[in-house]
Amino acid sequence: MIGLLAAASADMDLYVAQNIFFGIIAAQMIYAAFRVVTTANVVHAALWLVLVLSGVAVQFILLGAEFVAITQVLVYIGAVVVLFLFGVMLTRASMGADESVASEKRSMATVVGVLLFTVMAVSLIDSFEDTRLVIDEPQSTTLVSDSIFSQYIVPFEAVSVLLLAALIGAIVVARRD
Amino acid sequence: MLAALAAEVGDFVRPPIDWHAAAPELTLLAFGVLLTLMDIVWLERGRKWAPALASIGLLATMVPIITLAVDGADRSMFGGAFVVDKYALIMKAVFILAGYIVVLISSNYISEGDYWENEYYGLLLSSILGMILMASARDLITIFIALELLSIPAYMLATWRKRDLKSNEAGLKYYLMGVFASAILLYGMSLLYGASGTTLLVDLNESISASDSPSAIVVMGIIFVIVGFAFKVSAVPFHTWAPDTYEGAPTPVTAFLSVASKAAGFVALMNMLFVGFIGRDDVYEPMIFALAAVSMTVGNLIALRQTNIVRMLAYSGVAQAGYMLAPLAVASDVPDSALAATVSYLVIYAVMNLGAFAVVIAVARKTRSAEIDDYRGLFHYAPGLTVAMTIFLFALAGIPPLGGWWAKFRIMGAVIEANTVSGVVLGVFVAVNSVIALYYYARIGAKMWADEAPDGDLTPVRVPASLKSALVLTVAATIVFGVLPGLVGDVTKVSLLAGVGG
Repeated sequence: MIGLLAAASADMDLYVAQNIFFGIIAAQMIYAAFRVVTTANVVHAALWLVLVLSGVAVQFILLGAEFVAITQVLVYIGAVVVLFLFGVMLTRASMGADESVASEKRSMATVVGVLLFTVMAVSLIDSFEDTRLVIDEPQSTTLVSDSIFSQYIVPFEAVSVLLLAALIGAIVVARRD
Repeated sequence: MLAALAAEVGDFVRPPIDWHAAAPELTLLAFGVLLTLMDIVWLERGRKWAPALASIGLLATMVPIITLAVDGADRSMFGGAFVVDKYALIMKAVFILAGYIVVLISSNYISEGDYWENEYYGLLLSSILGMILMASARDLITIFIALELLSIPAYMLATWRKRDLKSNEAGLKYYLMGVFASAILLYGMSLLYGASGTTLLVDLNESISASDSPSAIVVMGIIFVIVGFAFKVSAVPFHTWAPDTYEGAPTPVTAFLSVASKAAGFVALMNMLFVGFIGRDDVYEPMIFALAAVSMTVGNLIALRQTNIVRMLAYSGVAQAGYMLAPLAVASDVPDSALAATVSYLVIYAVMNLGAFAVVIAVARKTRSAEIDDYRGLFHYAPGLTVAMTIFLFALAGIPPLGGWWAKFRIMGAVIEANTVSGVVLGVFVAVNSVIALYYYARIGAKMWADEAPDGDLTPVRVPASLKSALVLTVAATIVFGVLPGLVGDVTKVSLLAGVGG
């Protein structure tokens, strides 16, 4: 598979190493993603999810988007997965293997998953075919911050209001009284 | 080290900001902050001023909206990501006034139930802030953030009666379906960004309508975006959350969701369709056509069988969403009249639906229920409320001379003017459904006027002053809009196409 990728990228005369690593990490992500939905243990599923998400982060680094990669680690692995684990701990979900977790409505989920995958794959391939996106240089964090504080200043400020409102509301809803 | 960093960021250019254009958002934000601070500083003593401060904040926000309207110039910031034009101002005014009426109908309900008053109004204001931001948003990211800012406080408001299981269910259902819709919407937006390389709706339209036939990814993107908003406006088949959420949520919040939140979903949808997708009518028109036709029919047919008035209003809201979608299905043939028809429907719908919920709240103060059977004989002990409810129900059914007929007339006018097969078919759907709807609205009217009160209990309903003023405002507006339809007609003569651009 690696040989194939190398051959495919040979005529692109650039990014050979990136393409090889892309293939390796993509394969690892696909395997981990399958395990997320097939494992019978909720905690294991959350940990497999960490592998998928860190794979995404590495792919972003390969694309030269350092800021997005770090955000991916901080937000998804640092916050979302930890939230999952806390959710498992604080609710009465069983920590061990529980067959019903993975087997419930499995056939339905498979049909939906396969359908969605086919439609998306076909339309992505159909739309981009052999388009080549050349990245001249890594996307610097300066660029990100510049656009946050100029072009996207309105949504940025709105997000801060949203966070405050969500915080206040969550406390009210979660309080025991 | 710092010097090196400073040298690197030296080329940052501060974006020009038109403070007047942003004044409505900033005013509302300032009052929201004030409200939160008041709670921190004065604690319990500030509680009773919270609704007053919230209504003052909302009315104060009308001031910059009016000055902007008097000024009349179309303003645009950030290359067209934030636009203030006539359409945006009308929708902002609708959100602010609807919010004001919601505060009026909430104040007794919330304080008597000993719910978290200050936080309630704080969240209400932040949700309205998201709505008025939405009216100006012409950029994928701004639209998404505005949508979250208006939805997330609403999820929590739906579960505000937290000792009540039904309210918990309402909040949870709304939240789960809402975030599910947001995820689909965001995925659609990312596909569109991938296809066009821009977040600005104007540029997006240019990019996706360049070719004769759309690429597969653009089709997927548009479908996902419309599905996401269809959840928000509770169009069939994405309406399943609405009846349960409406029934379980505190009734003033239900009024807010069914009017303001739905209108915000429509504003977002109109921004996307008229600015972002207008050149790709071959993709979105069939989809909107199907959503409109199915929503009207299914909503009305299920509403026929409801025994709870809030659930009935929920299904009637689904059907009304179908009417409002109808002109959007002919958006490319007659863009200006389609937009004006939907906007005027939103304005009139806001008034009559808020009024109907105000009556439901007033009656529930005595009967403690929202069952339609408890409205029997209402005329014998609450004649004023009965007259008001009859006005709202007949307005919702579209009977002249009340506001609703003009709204329906505009919808019919737009779809017929398009003179296409789909337009005429939708016109037939609207006409048939108006007749079906009349049946269940009139049934409540008959119960209120003709039946005897249950158990002969004729103690009058005590209506507090704020609820009374909300009723007076909505009744007056419903009648004025019906008698002088030109009023809404002139105001809603808007065009989104003219206002766009850098």
